[in-house]
Amino acid sequence: MSIKMPAPDQAVLDRRSTIVAALRAIVPGEGVIDSAAEMLPYESDGLMAYRQPPMVVVLPDTTEQVSKVLKYCFEQGIKVVPRGSGTSLSGGSLPLADAVLLGLGKFKRIREVDFDNRVVVTEPGVTNLAISQAVAHAGFYYAPDPSSQIACSIGGNVAENSGGVHCLKYGMTTNNVLGCEIVLMTGEILSIGGKTAESAGYDLMGVITGSEGLLGVIAEITVRILQKPETARALMVGFAEVEAAGECVAQIIGNGIIPGGMEMMDKPAIHAAEAFVHAGYPLDVEALLIIELDGPTVEVDELIKRVEKIAQGCGSTVCLISNSEAERNLFWAGRKAAFPAVGRISPDYLCMDGTIPRGALPKALARIRELSVKYGLQCANVFHAGDGNLHPLILYDANQPGEIERAEAFGADILRCCVELGGVLTGEHGVGIEKRDLMPEMFSDIDLNQQQRVKCAFDAQGLLNPGKVFPTLHRCAELGRMHVHAGKLAFPDLPRF
Amino acid sequence: MDTLKVRDAKDVEQAVRAAIANEQPLEIIGHGSKRMIGQPMATNALLDLSALNSVKSYEPNELIITVEAGAPLADVKSLIDSKNQRFAFEPMEAAPLLGAPAAGTIGGMIAAGLAGPRRIQAGAARDHLLGAQAVSGFGDSFKAGGRVVKNVTGYDLCKLLAGSWGTLAVMTEVTLKVMPRPESERTLVLRGLDDATANRAMTAALGSPYDVSGAAHVPRSVLRDAVGALGGLGSPRTALTLVRLEGITASAVDRAASLANLLSRFGTAETIEDERSVAIWECVRDVEPFAAKGALGAWPVWRIVCPPAAGSALGECLVRETGGDVLYDWGGGLIWTATPPKPDAQAALVRQRAAAAGGHATLLRAPEEVRRQVDVFQPASPGVRALSERVRQGFDPKAILNRGRMTRG
Repeated sequence: MSIKMPAPDQAVLDRRSTIVAALRAIVPGEGVIDSAAEMLPYESDGLMAYRQPPMVVVLPDTTEQVSKVLKYCFEQGIKVVPRGSGTSLSGGSLPLADAVLLGLGKFKRIREVDFDNRVVVTEPGVTNLAISQAVAHAGFYYAPDPSSQIACSIGGNVAENSGGVHCLKYGMTTNNVLGCEIVLMTGEILSIGGKTAESAGYDLMGVITGSEGLLGVIAEITVRILQKPETARALMVGFAEVEAAGECVAQIIGNGIIPGGMEMMDKPAIHAAEAFVHAGYPLDVEALLIIELDGPTVEVDELIKRVEKIAQGCGSTVCLISNSEAERNLFWAGRKAAFPAVGRISPDYLCMDGTIPRGALPKALARIRELSVKYGLQCANVFHAGDGNLHPLILYDANQPGEIERAEAFGADILRCCVELGGVLTGEHGVGIEKRDLMPEMFSDIDLNQQQRVKCAFDAQGLLNPGKVFPTLHRCAELGRMHVHAGKLAFPDLPRF
Repeated sequence: MDTLKVRDAKDVEQAVRAAIANEQPLEIIGHGSKRMIGQPMATNALLDLSALNSVKSYEPNELIITVEAGAPLADVKSLIDSKNQRFAFEPMEAAPLLGAPAAGTIGGMIAAGLAGPRRIQAGAARDHLLGAQAVSGFGDSFKAGGRVVKNVTGYDLCKLLAGSWGTLAVMTEVTLKVMPRPESERTLVLRGLDDATANRAMTAALGSPYDVSGAAHVPRSVLRDAVGALGGLGSPRTALTLVRLEGITASAVDRAASLANLLSRFGTAETIEDERSVAIWECVRDVEPFAAKGALGAWPVWRIVCPPAAGSALGECLVRETGGDVLYDWGGGLIWTATPPKPDAQAALVRQRAAAAGGHATLLRAPEEVRRQVDVFQPASPGVRALSERVRQGFDPKAILNRGRMTRG
């Protein structure tokens, strides 16, 4: 494990049996798990290279219990790691040896479906897909669709600000969440936002979304739902050169067309996916685009024609258009199975998640090819091409000494390249532990200190999910201090410009 | 009062550091178009950002623009318009409502968290602010967000900056998402609906798959003196319910027909197109019936956000109990309310009714003496208020920036 986590507090570990008993007094029955065997499923999340048994697992089933658990831990100075379904790809819910793992898995109820106000009020443990299923009979759905949507929880989506294939057109979680009930580390329960388009005062919902479980534990969420588009059709377009595919993406957007989804795969990804699901992908192309247009039939039919023309103008070698739901789903099947498909051809892989300006795509790909040679590891690339979000999959074999370290160094170089090209370290998977130590590539100490002062406003003791997101932890008292800038605070008067 | 006209971010840092040293709070202004919104401030110097007005980069194919905070909104809008793009969140021009002389800056637009009729489809300023450079009340320039549309790296400080009315940091540069301007727009107009029926019609429209980008209702009382109002669409004593569709022409036409059919149980819809449609939505966006120069120009104006389906019940109640007038946007989720002048702008009544409906109210327009008496922004619950104050202190512990603008006392 190359990422260092905060050193366990021996004094806390020594009190383990007392802590377990205290938690049992709050959450009776099977809600407290302390046997090593039963805690096994909680050792890791979607970032499976990292494992750590927690001190104890607690699974409350009421907000009041969550509040009491947090209050107890706050008073006792015990760290807490919140967890939804444990599908984080960045290690956001990786346990700590001396922390209570607080699972929200029992919060499985949808509390209210309100079609007139077009919202669903739900508990955080409900899966992303279950929300769409609960409103499907009336033609509605919840738009953000991370690829783990059958398993990932809506609480985890809020914590990570999850995206998905359709966020190009419909936004990320943050654009689709209206309010929440949040429990602070002190146990205080706050209600933020609601069924209204905006909340009063500072946009606390906005900063809670994507805060990776460091600010509070979400106990209830109000999300916006939308009517399903009347129809959706997809194009599968192949190109002999990646640059041409990149140009096609730019021209589609430049022509004012915002597809429901626009995905790109490179040759290794195409081959792996085709071998796995036989979607009929062309094997002789360097890049494949899957472009989905959704909306009223008349609109989709017209836009399909326009996109086809753009693709041909960019020199596409293959251009197929779906004429049925079955065909559309087949086009998508390979893309959706890209990760497991790569898993079949390699013992292990690392999935990266940088974002770049769309126009920098050919440059980024060229750089990834160079790095692939440098590190002697293969890389298959899938992208959310419409919004410049790259998912390079670095293939390695954990049983070969040194390969995981090489793979991680390769991944870090890719992310540095994203930042150099004007992009960011993570588009949708979160920083977690995985990208924590790369944060200084993108942010200065001043930037990071400002973020940590927000953390201090929510959790002054730093007990909630420590060791994630920030490479260096500062005490809040230190962060709040006003530093004198080389004597510059001593101005006698306001300056004039 | 001192005025500090800054030239760049370094100047802003220096001005804020000096202000910290002198414990001299600063009022941050661009054009000053929204200066009269908020509690009267305890500041004694102006930090004027209007000279920070350049466009740093504009990449139409990337759908992003980076501008300095003092750039005039009107100039930036015409620049992106020249590439057939726009800010999808449809920021209002506050000047006509407030009677302010200038049109406002990009920084002011973000700080005020503006959102127009298209909020129901495209969100608000918060949803389109991708990144910012800002100077905190520590006197330090920091970066929030990035310059790409998809980014979850670190806390989303942009969300806090949008709508913070300059109380957290001085934004010096912002990166915004722009969107393509659609080919066509169509607005369905239903005449003569009462508020409750209009609310139901808008709910039906917004619950349809036709991708509605505007849903507003102008009750008949609002149009009493304004025959020529609302882009020439108004007629005396006839309420107007407006539903907008945008997109490629074939699609807008097709959806307008389908939606007219869906709404036929509420009334017969006429369809207006393109320029006329644009004109009427500008009137809704800028709340023309309550304009400072109009008949109700001297009345206080409340901006009330509530669950959309609760809109008409709340609006009717406010009209009845305050003797005021209302205008509905966002399918009922936004109620502009003008109330007859009173020393307290009937704050207790408005807030109580709004809260009972699950909403909240901002006193957007009122004379200074009224704003001294009344909470301009909805007071939060004690816990949220305390948390918000801790967040504010994390940016500006000495309360140097726009001290007291968002909270009274």
